[in-house]
Amino acid sequence: MATDPVPQIAEAIRLWSGVTCPNAAGKRGLEDFCALIKDFEAQRGTLVFEDEPSTFEAALRAEAESEA
Amino acid sequence: MSAILDDLALLSVTGAADAFAKGEAKAEALVSACLARIDAHDVKVNSVIRLDREAALEAAQALDKARAAGEKPGPLAGVPMMHKDMYYRAGKVSTCGSKIRRDFKPSVTATVLQRLDAAGAIDMGTLNMAEFAQNPTGHNAHYGDCHNPWSLPYCTGGSSSGSGAGVAARFFACALGSDTGGSIRLPAGICGVTGIKGTQTRVPRTGVMPLSFSMDNVGPLTRTARDAARVMTVISGADGTDQTAAPESVPDYEAALTGDISGLRIAVPREWFFYKADDIVVKTFEAALEVLKARGATVDYVSAPSLAAIGTYTAVISRVEGATIHANWMREHPGDYAIHLSGRLFGGYAIPGHYYLEALSRRGPLLRQFCKEAMADYDIVATPTLRMRVPTLAETDIDKDAEANWARHMVVSANTRPFNYLGLPTVSIPVGFDDRGLPVGMQLSARPFGEAKALKVADAYQRDTDWHARVPTL
Repeated sequence: MATDPVPQIAEAIRLWSGVTCPNAAGKRGLEDFCALIKDFEAQRGTLVFEDEPSTFEAALRAEAESEA
Repeated sequence: MSAILDDLALLSVTGAADAFAKGEAKAEALVSACLARIDAHDVKVNSVIRLDREAALEAAQALDKARAAGEKPGPLAGVPMMHKDMYYRAGKVSTCGSKIRRDFKPSVTATVLQRLDAAGAIDMGTLNMAEFAQNPTGHNAHYGDCHNPWSLPYCTGGSSSGSGAGVAARFFACALGSDTGGSIRLPAGICGVTGIKGTQTRVPRTGVMPLSFSMDNVGPLTRTARDAARVMTVISGADGTDQTAAPESVPDYEAALTGDISGLRIAVPREWFFYKADDIVVKTFEAALEVLKARGATVDYVSAPSLAAIGTYTAVISRVEGATIHANWMREHPGDYAIHLSGRLFGGYAIPGHYYLEALSRRGPLLRQFCKEAMADYDIVATPTLRMRVPTLAETDIDKDAEANWARHMVVSANTRPFNYLGLPTVSIPVGFDDRGLPVGMQLSARPFGEAKALKVADAYQRDTDWHARVPTL
């Protein structure tokens, strides 16, 4: 990223959630976000149109251990 | 402390319950033994937040009277327990390890506590934990850090720090912990005891402090797999209140512990779990596999899919859900949190909603893929609980020195987190000690609702080893 995104992200949090950056640890947490965004970029295209959160409970049952 | 009292404190869950049922030990003596051991040693360990001495003794005396009157004892009758301070009991303070809830008195009692009460367990009070269960090392800025009974400068693992340390120190036979990213298995592995998180949705969470509603689990820390099986049989199953709890019937997990694992197939993933692992951890883990092979199991190294993606999605879900739950306090009392916790929560507000939904929506497909590619031909996945040797409290304290300790702090839960995202039942058992005398743990994961199989392997291992029976010198 060309510019430091941390101040903008902190301002967006204040605006959207009413929470202000509490300390240096909060700023450090936001610095990790560039890596998080890259991790998500690596997953682009893997989400299938029909996927939704409820598929997890269905998968638990579908993949259940068969031996009691 | 007399030798007789000390011997009673050393009893396991099944040992204490059986001694009570046979009339060989009174509940009052079992509780007194544990109280004496806590009085003698917890000043060093700091595992206890609140000790309900009188209430525990009264409950024990009532049990003794009932037994003398011919009442049939429950499966956990007379067993002394204490629990992580986030299981609500109506009218009793539940601090959740925090300053914010220092005086919080819930109006409900957790389903799991009600079930343990009904089975005859004796609740002696509440235990130290990471603040709001939010760190993997057990550091606590408000109640003091909990210390590893095997060597006091070392961390206990978290977030169920008092649960792991107290069971290891023989202060009680069992403690409930909670596990959202490894918080049962880490203190179990790091303190040298047995801990299990069940299949996601297996144990109801009514009356339990939430951290991340998609990945929170309730489970026991005990000395043996047999102990864990007995407790899981008591606490599992839908309660009609927690709408996420699975309606599947609960088997008698203890009945599955036959010791026979011949022909059972164990997979060890090559990726992720051994990345930059300490040699002593790998060697100890491999030696544990040999024990299972000697009992007739087969072991193969396999490729496990998408673990990096799973790691990313897990972090997103827990951070967003944690931030949501804590939003009001983060607006009104941010200074009441430990530095690392308010910092961690703050980042959760920046994660876009579609990232969160993607992380949740990929969970089912990734579980299916993991079962197909890593478990199709295998019964169990075995991994080290921790990649590294147990770290000290000082070298993982990110409030005191984030720059130096951040990476070490974060890697503590690297091997436990994937099984929360996948929802797989996973038990951690002690399999030896490192070169500094701290425990090494092994995780055994089964397919969904395969708790019995994971516990069966753990029990088989413990039949041939004595790591779980060793007692730290305090």
